[in-house]
Amino acid sequence: MKIHTANDYKSDLKPIWCPGCGDYGVLTVLTRALASINRPPHEIAFISGIGCSSRIPGYTTAYGFNTVHGRALPIAQGIKLANPELLVLVASGDGDGFSIGGGHLAHVVRRNIDLTYIVMDNQIYGLTKGQLSPTSRQGLKTVSSNQGSLEEPVNPLLYMLAFGAGYVAQGTPIDMAGLAKIIEDGIRYPGFAFINVQSPCITYGEAESQMKAQKEKVESLEKMGHDPADRLRAMALAQEYGTKLYTGVFYRNPAPPPAHGERVAQRHAAYKASPPVKGDILKLFTPSV
Amino acid sequence: MAGSGGDGIVSAGESLIAAAAMEGYHAMMTKSFGSQIRGGESSCRVRVSAQPVLNPNGTLHVAVAFNWEDFKKFGAELPVGPQTVVIYESSTGVAPDKLPLEGIKPAVVFSVPIEELAKKTAETDKAKNIVVLGLLAGWFGVGRQTMVAGIHKKFAKKGPKIVEGNERAFNAGVEYAETHPLKEGRKLAAPVGGGGTKLLTDGNDICAAAAIFAGCTFFGGYPITPSSEIMQFLDREIWKYGGTVLQAEDEIAGVGAALGASFAGKKSMTATSGPGMSLKTEILGLASISELPLVCVNVQRGGPSTGVPTKSEQSDLFQAAFSAHGDCLRPVLAPINVGDTFGITVEAFNIAEHYQTPVIVLSDQEISQRKETVVPIDTSAFQLVERRRPTEAELVDYSRFRFTESGISPVSHPGMPGGNYLASGIEHNEDGSPTAGGEMHAKMNEKRFRKFAPLKNRRDLFLLEGDADAPIGMVSWGSVAGVAMEALRLAQAEGLQVKLLVPKLLYPISEVIYQDFFASVKRGLFIEQSHQAQLYRLVQMFTSIPARVQPLAKSGSNPILPVEVLERLRSMVLSIQSNQPNQPAAELE
Ligand SMILES: Cc1ncc(C[n+]2csc(CCOP(=O)(O)OP(=O)(O)O)c2C)c(N)n1
Ligand code: SF4
Repeated sequence: MKIHTANDYKSDLKPIWCPGCGDYGVLTVLTRALASINRPPHEIAFISGIGCSSRIPGYTTAYGFNTVHGRALPIAQGIKLANPELLVLVASGDGDGFSIGGGHLAHVVRRNIDLTYIVMDNQIYGLTKGQLSPTSRQGLKTVSSNQGSLEEPVNPLLYMLAFGAGYVAQGTPIDMAGLAKIIEDGIRYPGFAFINVQSPCITYGEAESQMKAQKEKVESLEKMGHDPADRLRAMALAQEYGTKLYTGVFYRNPAPPPAHGERVAQRHAAYKASPPVKGDILKLFTPSV
Repeated sequence: MAGSGGDGIVSAGESLIAAAAMEGYHAMMTKSFGSQIRGGESSCRVRVSAQPVLNPNGTLHVAVAFNWEDFKKFGAELPVGPQTVVIYESSTGVAPDKLPLEGIKPAVVFSVPIEELAKKTAETDKAKNIVVLGLLAGWFGVGRQTMVAGIHKKFAKKGPKIVEGNERAFNAGVEYAETHPLKEGRKLAAPVGGGGTKLLTDGNDICAAAAIFAGCTFFGGYPITPSSEIMQFLDREIWKYGGTVLQAEDEIAGVGAALGASFAGKKSMTATSGPGMSLKTEILGLASISELPLVCVNVQRGGPSTGVPTKSEQSDLFQAAFSAHGDCLRPVLAPINVGDTFGITVEAFNIAEHYQTPVIVLSDQEISQRKETVVPIDTSAFQLVERRRPTEAELVDYSRFRFTESGISPVSHPGMPGGNYLASGIEHNEDGSPTAGGEMHAKMNEKRFRKFAPLKNRRDLFLLEGDADAPIGMVSWGSVAGVAMEALRLAQAEGLQVKLLVPKLLYPISEVIYQDFFASVKRGLFIEQSHQAQLYRLVQMFTSIPARVQPLAKSGSNPILPVEVLERLRSMVLSIQSNQPNQPAAELE
C-alpha cells in the first residue's frame, strides 16, 4: 500500500484565510494526522457547513462537501450511514456548530456514528465580519453587541461531555504536535469524536484569544496528570472553558460501546443470507380479510 | 358505516374491502374519527364496484348505523339520499319511519337486531360487526366467497371457539338478509373480465414500496401526519435490502442525511408534509446547486405544524415549485391515486438520478391514507435509471461539473478513486472549486436549467381523456383528478363533449402540452383543492389559459363532488349554445 505524506492531502487551492488566521495551522496539522492514518484521499469524505473555517475541505484532496450553515453534521451522518467504509470528517466554526447547528449536537452524540468533528472555535463570527458568537464571553463588544454581550457563552466541552460523547479533546495551533496527536486519536476512536480547536481569528477576535495570549495560559491536561478515563474529572475541568485553556484529551471512553455502524451491520447481516427480491415487494399488499 | 369506538367499524370496513379485493372488485375505503383519539365515534366509507373506483365520495348506496347519535356526527361525510338502503340497529328503538335524517326518505330501511344476533351466535356483542358483514354479503354479494375463510384466518390465533362463533355470526347475517330480501335486487355485478385478485394498500405504503423497488437504500425523516407511514413502512422493510432508516431530530437533519447518502452514491429519500417542507427548503436548494439526486415526498395537508393536519389539501404546489432560494428548477410530480403512486415514485427516482436533481412528489392526505385496490403491477415493465457515473477516461483529470451538451455531467462519489471533488453550496467552477465570478454563476445557472429541457414535454406524464376536439376542458391533479375523471364519465353518459387533462408532472410547466389541450377549448375548469387554485395560477404564469377556463377550487376538508362538477359542465354547454358568459369564477380574492 502506498505510504501517503501530508502533501498528498493538500489540494492546489490557495486558502483565502487572512494571513495569521489560526485555521492555517489546523489545515497543516490535519494533513499530517491524515498521513499518519494513511487512508487514500478518495476514501475520505470531509464535510463542513459555512464560515471561514468551513472552507477547509476544499484545501484537502479528500472528497469535500461545503454544505450550508449549521448542517454539516446531519449530512455527514447520512454519508457515513450510506457508506460505513468511508472515513468521515466534519468541520465547523463555533457559530456553525454551536449556534445554528446546535440542535444536532445531542443527537449526533446519542447515535454515536463514527465521525470526527473538528470545531474551529474563535469565539467570533469571522466570515460575516465580526458578530457575536455563542462562545463569545459575556461583555464582549462586537458589531452586533455594541454595548457588550448580555449573555453567557455556551460551553462546548461541557455540552459534549454531558450529552455523553465518548471522545472529547481540545487543542490549539500553537501546539501543532499536540493538536495532530488528538486529531489522529479522535479519528482512530471507534465512535463519535469531538475536538474543539482554539483557532484564533486574527481579524475580528479579541486580543485575549490570539496565539500570543494563548501561549501564556495554555496548560496540558497530560502534564497535569489528568486521567482521560475519568469522565467526572473531565467535566470539572471542562467547567473552566473560557477562563483556563486546557489542551489534550478531556475524556476518552476506555470501553467504547459498539458504534452505530456496528449495530447496523449486525442488523443487515441477519438478512444477508437470503435477501428478498425487490420485484416481489408488492406481494406485501396481497389482501387478506 | 358509523358507530362508537368499540363497534369495530374500521375493522369491518377493512375486512369488507379485503374481501372485495380478493373477489376481484375495485374498491376504496376512507375512515374518519371523532375528536377523541380513542373511544369516540368512528366511521368508514367503502366504495366497491365492478368498474375502477375513481373517487371515494358521493351519496351512500348503503348506510349502516350502529347507533344514530354517532352516525349523525359525521354529517355531510355520510350523506343519505332517497336511493340509499339504510340498515340500523333495532335496539336503538328508533322507528323505521322516524329516522333522524332531516326529511330524507330512504328507498329501503332495515331495522335489524344486530346485537341480539351477535350475542345469540357468538355469545358476545363484539361480533356485531361480523353480523353486519354477513348482512352486506347477503344483500349485496360482496364477501360471500371469501369472508368465511377470511374469518378462520383472522381469528385463528384466538382459538376454535372464537372462530366458530364469528362464523355463526356471519352466517346469521347472511341468513337474515336472505329471509328479508330486497324488493329490487341490489347485488353487485361481477367484476369486469372476471376481475382477478387485486392488491390492497394505501398511498403511503405503496410509495415506500416503490422507493425500495427503485433501489432506494436510505431514508432520513421526521414523523408528521399524514406522511409518517412512509418512514414506518421503510423501517419495517428497507433493512432487509441492506438499506437504512434514520429518524432524525428534525426535518432539516432528515433531508440533510438523505442528501449526504446521495452524495455518497446511494439513492435516497425523505418524506414529510407542508410544515416539514419549509424546514427542508434550504437543503433542497443545496441539492439543486450541488446537482445531487434526491426524492422528497410531501403528503399535503393544510397550514403550519398546527394547521389542518388530518384533512387533505393541494395547497403546497406554490411551495413545491418556488420555495427554493436563487434561480432553481425542481421537478414536481403528483400521483392521482394509490396505484399510480407506485409508478410516480419510481419515476421520481428515475428523474432524480438522470437529471441529478431533487424531485418533489406531491401526494396528499387523501391518497396517502385511503385504502384502495390496485390492479397488479408488472414490475418487470419498469426501467430503473442510475445516475451517470464517470468512465475511466473521464476520471483522468476529472471535472465534476463539466459543461456538456445535455447539461448533465458525470458524477462520482466518495470511495471512487480519481473522482475526488468538492461538492458545494458555493457557486463553483467546472471542477467544483469555489468561485464568486458572475460570469461562471450565469453559465452554471444556464447549465442547471438547460439539462431539464427534455423533461418538460414528456407527454407520458400527462393523462388525456375524453373527446380530443371537445369545446369543454377540465384540468385537475392529485387525488382530485379522480373526481374530475368521474365527472367526465357522467358528462359523457349525458352526451356532453368534454375532455380532461391530468398533469402528473406539475413543474416545470409544459407550454406546448397545455396549449395543445386548450386549442379546442372554449369553456373549462381547473378543479383543485386549494383556496388559491394554485395549479391554475401556476399555469397562468407560464402560458395563457383561455379566459373562460376558470377555477373550481376549494380549501381542504370540503370535498369537491363529481355531481357538482357535472353541474358546472352542463351550464357551460348551455352557455356555449347561447354564447353567454358562464358562471363567474369562485371567489378567489
Ligand atoms: C442560513 C444562514 N444564515 C446565516 C448565514 C451567514 N453566515 C455565514 S457563516 C456565519 C457564521 C460564521 O461564524 P463561524 O461559524 O463561527 O465561523 P468562522 O467564520 O468564524 O470560521 C453566518 C452567520 C448563512 N450563510 N446561512
Ligand atoms: S476573518 Fe478571522 S476566521 Fe476568517 S479568515 Fe480571517 S482571521 Fe480567519
